[in-house]
Amino acid sequence: MFFNSLAFALFLPPVFALYWWLCAKSVAKQNALLLLTSYVFYACWDWRFLFLLLFSTFLDYFTGLQIHQSERVAKKRFWFWLSIGVNLGFLGLFKYYDFFAVSFAELFQGFGLSVSPFLLKWLLPVGISFYTFHGLSYVIDIYKGRILAEKNPVDYALFVSYFPLLVAGPIERATHLLPQIKQTRKFSFSQAQEGVYLIVWGLVKKIVIADTCATYANAIFDHADSVNTLSLALGAVYFAFQIYGDFSGYSDMAIGISKLFGLELLRNFNYPYFSRDIAEFWRRWHISLSSWFRDYVYIPLGGSQGGKWMQLRNVFAIFILSGFWHGANYTYLFWGFLNALYFLPLLWQQKNRANLESSKLPWNLSGLRIVLNILATFALTCIAWVFFRAKSMTVAWDYLYRLATNGNWNSEFLANRRYNFELLSLIVLFVAVEWRHRNQMQPISGKYAWLKLGLCFAALLALGTYSDYKSFIYFQF
Amino acid sequence: MKSFLRYIGFALLLLVGIAVLLDVVYTDIYSLAKDRWKMEYVLHTPAQQYDVVILGSSRANNHFVPELFEKQGLKTFNFGMSGSHLFEDALLLELLIEQKNSINYVLLEADLNLSNEKRDEGTTARYLPYLRSNSTIRSHYQNEPEFPYWYYLPFYRYMAFESQIGFLELMKTVAHEPSSSLSNKGYYPLPSHKKGNMKNDYRALKLRPNRYYQQIKKLCAQHHIRLITVTTPVCENVKGMAYFEKVTQLYPEIHNCEDFVNQDRYFSSCGHLNDAGARLFTQKIISKFFPKK
Repeated sequence: MFFNSLAFALFLPPVFALYWWLCAKSVAKQNALLLLTSYVFYACWDWRFLFLLLFSTFLDYFTGLQIHQSERVAKKRFWFWLSIGVNLGFLGLFKYYDFFAVSFAELFQGFGLSVSPFLLKWLLPVGISFYTFHGLSYVIDIYKGRILAEKNPVDYALFVSYFPLLVAGPIERATHLLPQIKQTRKFSFSQAQEGVYLIVWGLVKKIVIADTCATYANAIFDHADSVNTLSLALGAVYFAFQIYGDFSGYSDMAIGISKLFGLELLRNFNYPYFSRDIAEFWRRWHISLSSWFRDYVYIPLGGSQGGKWMQLRNVFAIFILSGFWHGANYTYLFWGFLNALYFLPLLWQQKNRANLESSKLPWNLSGLRIVLNILATFALTCIAWVFFRAKSMTVAWDYLYRLATNGNWNSEFLANRRYNFELLSLIVLFVAVEWRHRNQMQPISGKYAWLKLGLCFAALLALGTYSDYKSFIYFQF
Repeated sequence: MKSFLRYIGFALLLLVGIAVLLDVVYTDIYSLAKDRWKMEYVLHTPAQQYDVVILGSSRANNHFVPELFEKQGLKTFNFGMSGSHLFEDALLLELLIEQKNSINYVLLEADLNLSNEKRDEGTTARYLPYLRSNSTIRSHYQNEPEFPYWYYLPFYRYMAFESQIGFLELMKTVAHEPSSSLSNKGYYPLPSHKKGNMKNDYRALKLRPNRYYQQIKKLCAQHHIRLITVTTPVCENVKGMAYFEKVTQLYPEIHNCEDFVNQDRYFSSCGHLNDAGARLFTQKIISKFFPKK
């Protein structure tokens, strides 16, 4: 049940109605309803994996309580590592086992030893990376004494399984979401209206921008050996907007849907393509994952403390882990590695926190420099996206090699029977709208909101891609 | 909560209003178009006198050269449409007759398409703008499961078929950008491909009486149009060649012309002749069915 499906459009209104009419007076009833709804939502994907979700929830709930209640450090440590081990074990088994088995077999073959590895070929449970990280952060926070264990199993289960964030995030923190879950929610018109705006803008990003870019990006990536330099460059740009529209659109919808139920989720994107350097990009892209790795990996490893080499090790560790989190493929690992390389000069010159403020564009030379920095950062990001999108490292290198050597800059008629300029005009319009509203969550609210809402509806109806349905990219992670 | 429900109500009204407005605009623009697609040409050009009207799928569109018929003094138009099935061909013939075109012969390609009674999505899309204004088109699609959505939900048909009749196509129509479909009197020549797929497997095709072929036969008989039905060539490397024999067994009036051209150098892909092949094939068809008097 995708957020942009008819099934979801029929699913959401009754849940909303039951939530605010039947359960409005009791937070316990509201939570129970949301939990039940979340399980129905998840079971619509594949009911078999519901048992895995239930087990993971129970494990973290139980171990959390044990850590909290244990007085001896050794006992706390036992329950902590049990939770970490089982969580990562499941993730490893479902997501990474086949990759490591094949990689080891290839390594042995390199030494002349023939090995036929045993492969599981299991289907990846949808959302496993997201709900595992929810659970991990909860257990780590209890172990570190940042929060107390949650005693109410329904409240805890809702924190892990809340349907707007269950399958593709944002990755929530117990410190942020659990207190909201325990509080009585009162309906707020402005919050719900903001939710509607976010849902509509998320749909525009997904259906108008991401899915349209996808047909062009696919036409180019699938024929990368025969198209010219201009098309290859644009292919990377289209994929950049595809993945941004797809994932940030999903996040906007998730946050918007949650606002309808009076719960605020963490912001996941903050106009990342307007970043002036790669450090700023990573403060604005998939914020909930970046901050998760910062808080639970980077800082425990020493963070920016210690010598330059230690800092370097820590930076490479989180970027490579972040790449690997996306999937078991060398392309994701290299994508993470490449981003770490981009980060390196900033770290070395201690400029990684140079651009913390939102960018303003004065009409002078410094404004021009900002634009050039934004374009340079975007270009670097696009190169990295080629590795993220390509099926293998060889395909990615071939893509970039042809991009650099073909030298033909004529506009081509693509395999999807479209010309590049048709999509470019749409992207330019989208970028202009985002730039104009870069200091707010979405561009609809404020003056002329009805007009802007109408324009979004018109864009959805007339410019959306409906004939070639595409799932959300991050569902595979 | 009441104000939110009122707000949602207004938002939904706005959405429906925009959908109605867009539907009207799109339908009006397409209802005036005649430069881009064959059914538009049929609907929006004055009645003509045709000696030969060619119907069929891409295997008609790419195989019959009207220019060669015209050299014989036969006014001809190739209404073959890439991807179309007999479902849409029957409708196009009905529209041609309804528009008072005079037709002496219908030259119909009926071979692989006989095994399919379903609609073709791409060709169907071109008809959908006329669903409300043309009763023939409406009644032809009335039994399709999605018909109520196409007919009653404003703008739904343009969303469901956006790659064919969506915004980009609308812009091209507004700009009167000609498409290749009406050039060369409807014939679309194919180039030779060095890497063309020169093999096919027809063993899975299930031949059965086709109701739209029957409808074409009935229309021709009712309007005194002489119907010539032919099969067209495929490359040599085909599995299930017996299919063509089954066609003539089921419909003895169908002329098996599959072997009129048989060297791979005349093919663009296994099921489609290149321009040289199409010209050779057309010459043989003319010699057989339209000999000089």
